[in-house]
Amino acid sequence: MSGLDKFSEKMTRRVARATSRRSLLTLIGGALTGAAVIPVLPVSRAQAQGHGGGGGADPIAPQTTGNPQDPGDQTKCDYWRYCAIDGFLCSCCGGSASTCPPGTEMSPITWIGTCMNPADNRAYIISYNDCCGRSACGRCSCNRNEGDRPMVRPQANNDINWCLGTASAIYNCSTAVILGVALEQK
Amino acid sequence: MKRVARAAAFAALTMSASMTVAADFPQPLAEEPVPSVAELPASYPDSWIFVHDFHGNSLIDARGVIVDVAADNNNVRGQIPISHFGSITPSPTRSEIYVGETFYSRQTRGERTDVITVWDTKTLTPKGEIVLPGGKRGQFVTLVNSLQLTNNDKWAMIFNFTPGSSVTVVDLDSRAVVSEVDLPGCSLIYPTGARGFASLCADGTMTSIALDAQGKPGATVTSEAFNDIDSDPLFMTPAMVGRTGWFVSFKGNLRAIDFSGEAAKVLGSFPIPAQSGGTPEWRPGGWQVISADRAGLLYVLMNPKGGEGSHKDGGTEAWVIDPVAKTLVRRITLKNHSISVEATQQAKPLLVASRPDGSLDVYDAVTGAFVRTVASVAHTPITMTAVRR
Repeated sequence: MSGLDKFSEKMTRRVARATSRRSLLTLIGGALTGAAVIPVLPVSRAQAQGHGGGGGADPIAPQTTGNPQDPGDQTKCDYWRYCAIDGFLCSCCGGSASTCPPGTEMSPITWIGTCMNPADNRAYIISYNDCCGRSACGRCSCNRNEGDRPMVRPQANNDINWCLGTASAIYNCSTAVILGVALEQK
Repeated sequence: MKRVARAAAFAALTMSASMTVAADFPQPLAEEPVPSVAELPASYPDSWIFVHDFHGNSLIDARGVIVDVAADNNNVRGQIPISHFGSITPSPTRSEIYVGETFYSRQTRGERTDVITVWDTKTLTPKGEIVLPGGKRGQFVTLVNSLQLTNNDKWAMIFNFTPGSSVTVVDLDSRAVVSEVDLPGCSLIYPTGARGFASLCADGTMTSIALDAQGKPGATVTSEAFNDIDSDPLFMTPAMVGRTGWFVSFKGNLRAIDFSGEAAKVLGSFPIPAQSGGTPEWRPGGWQVISADRAGLLYVLMNPKGGEGSHKDGGTEAWVIDPVAKTLVRRITLKNHSISVEATQQAKPLLVASRPDGSLDVYDAVTGAFVRTVASVAHTPITMTAVRR
């Protein structure tokens, strides 16, 4: 894991540099990673447990990429890229797994995860950029907490609103963008 | 014609019934004045709690709900708004409620304003506000230790996250910012001594910062590392017994920290006595997972499906722990899967468990007997704060 962590950190720094937000990184020293807001989480997870996963609502119509190398339903929490996501899925809100909804602003710093693509069996670095400037989307809440740690370690905490460095800090939804293959994975 | 006759007969019947009823009640109901707006007592009873409705589906429209959990009806007594990842902290001694929140001039865009809004407990009207500089108020799923009081409730302390950490100290009398304290590598606010606070740090330590009479940071004391963040971190919200904070860890270890002095003193730790029946094991789970009653008993929300990543999943039982005897006193089986627990500070305490569907289940904390459900209190009842004096 330490190798992965280092790689994740490096990737995050690259993202941060590319978006001229290095000053934000320096504020928390070398430990920074990123973002992924997660508003509703604990509750949505408990709700899913309490109601058999559906919460009583009608299901959202599936959305697939049509690409057999990118399999799964992007409106579902079990889509392979969402392995460390926490928040409303932008795929359900006018965006996609890698695109923010119209009119929102993508957060420049993000929480990074490494997810295994079941189609090509490669580990990908996934950046969970939040989309900001509209109120909470309210559709397809998804919260996975494996590896999540409390606020005392912010870079590993998915409860934080990572709409930082955006014109508006209002949280809308979260994406799961492919940054690359985790070449350094051990 | 037949239809007309039938209608006339029905009207006669109705009229006769009305006359009979009117004879029973010779006086009509009194006219009622308009406008009419309810008020609350300035000091709330011990059976009242503040429920923070995080309102996950509309974060800018979150609110605090004031609930009497001991009443048979009329339980919801009022609401105040809490905008976007805010915090709510009452001060019974000042008869005020403080809300840390963030607004934009055009609701979701425009100029950002971070404030502590001051609410009157009696009228639930805003008495004033303290504008916080820098647009850096920390925003995250509600943690009550992001906004705390010190100096005999004269000052409020609010946690900032940019992602650099700091604390802004404000004077509640003059409603002005007093100071700002940098807090590199540490998170949240646990009031210490007469004036000051401690904070949990990413290296597993706790740092204490005393504040002088002007609110400026003075001596800083850092503890030995005790918080095993990798394998068994402490939940961030403690149960307070006097000035002792009881924290519980992901795997069910209880840790006491004495906040009565200028520097936090990390005391001992002991495990919640292991119980069988978990799959794979019982662990604390939920959002506000530990509370304490006035006698010092602890209530921990427990999840039988405990494992890595289960820590926010809520629980199905509340375990009552005597931290002095280090024993499990009682297991309270909850009627419903719950996400947070809070004990009232009555002589005979009630245990409140909030549900993901927004209702509250109330139990007799002494016997564990179910008492009532207060239905549909909130959209997302994420934290609860009982009246404490």
